Amino acid sequence: MSEDHHFLVQQIAKGDKQALAALYRAYERPCYKFIVSRLNDPHEAADILHEVFMDIWRVAASFEGRSQVRTWIFGIAYRKVIDVHRKRGRVTVTDEVPETGDVAEAADAGYAAKQEAEHLAFCMGTLSDDHRSAVSLAFYEDMTCAEIAEIAGVPEGTIKSRLHHAKKLLLHCLSGRIKGRAVA
Amino acid sequence: MSRARDLIELDLPFHVNGTLDAEARAELDAWLETDELLHAEAASLAIIRDEMQAEEVRSPGEFGLARLMRDVGREGAGGGAVQAPSRTWIWQAAAAVAVIGFLAQAVLMRDQAAPQGYELASAGVPGALVVAFAPLATEESIRSLLVGQGLEIVAGPSALGLYRLDVIEGGDLEAASAALRAAADIVESVENAEN
Repeated sequence: MSEDHHFLVQQIAKGDKQALAALYRAYERPCYKFIVSRLNDPHEAADILHEVFMDIWRVAASFEGRSQVRTWIFGIAYRKVIDVHRKRGRVTVTDEVPETGDVAEAADAGYAAKQEAEHLAFCMGTLSDDHRSAVSLAFYEDMTCAEIAEIAGVPEGTIKSRLHHAKKLLLHCLSGRIKGRAVA
Repeated sequence: MSRARDLIELDLPFHVNGTLDAEARAELDAWLETDELLHAEAASLAIIRDEMQAEEVRSPGEFGLARLMRDVGREGAGGGAVQAPSRTWIWQAAAAVAVIGFLAQAVLMRDQAAPQGYELASAGVPGALVVAFAPLATEESIRSLLVGQGLEIVAGPSALGLYRLDVIEGGDLEAASAALRAAADIVESVENAEN
């Protein structure tokens, strides 16, 4: 699979539109999911996805094959969304982990998250972009720590730290929402 | 259990997504057997991951591919380092072209008699609708409206600042036309094209 995608990128570099279409079909959905999870705006996410593949078309010749095609594509998407946040001047959101025992409570609650998609979406929305990106790549895409670090351009330790904080924030948020609903 | 618990805990997400190497996995498995909190956190993360993977997202799909192929076709051969102009730049350029076109037309009308064999400006021009956008409409609002209605600009601006639009394949022209007429703050006028 990976070799096939390398071949597609080589063909794109030669101006092969069918290769671009094949690569688009392979990555459009996961890449869009990653982008929209960070932007919460389907229209803007579609535009960013379009820009990602336009960039692939333009710079395919510069892909040296040292990284995986998937990592390369997600890296482009990662930086595009950062640009959007910069343009918006957006300052996000929760970075402080509350000093409570709710992590254990949330874990113990076994909160039947299969029925709690809306809670999860809400709580993901409270995370900073760095945290959300790391969670998305780890859990939507099942990427390794090394892959996520390459995409974000930071050391692996930073990714582990981001995921650790994101986990605490998510569990705290979920715990609060589910307890609130139970009371109501 | 050679690493401290704090370090082991950092690997938990990668234990859950199955990307840890065998050694690290075995080390974490040993902790999970004895540490109830760690075990509960792993279970919660597994539920979160399952939930995220089950999430349905409507991606642009074939519409997005059609848009990509159209723009790639406009840009020419791949592999170059050509930077496409930004949308904002395109709209600024379009406005400049409209102004220049208007001035040129005014000069022509003043200095010349009408030419023989005059032809309608719309002859052979694609597009099902002719619209004028409101002067204060932003590029973002126009884009959102057009994308939402499955419309694309196929020609324009004319010297008078008119754009010709078509529905993307499979779109509903009548509904799109009604939506444009309803968006009075964005679209100043909508006419059916007479080709």
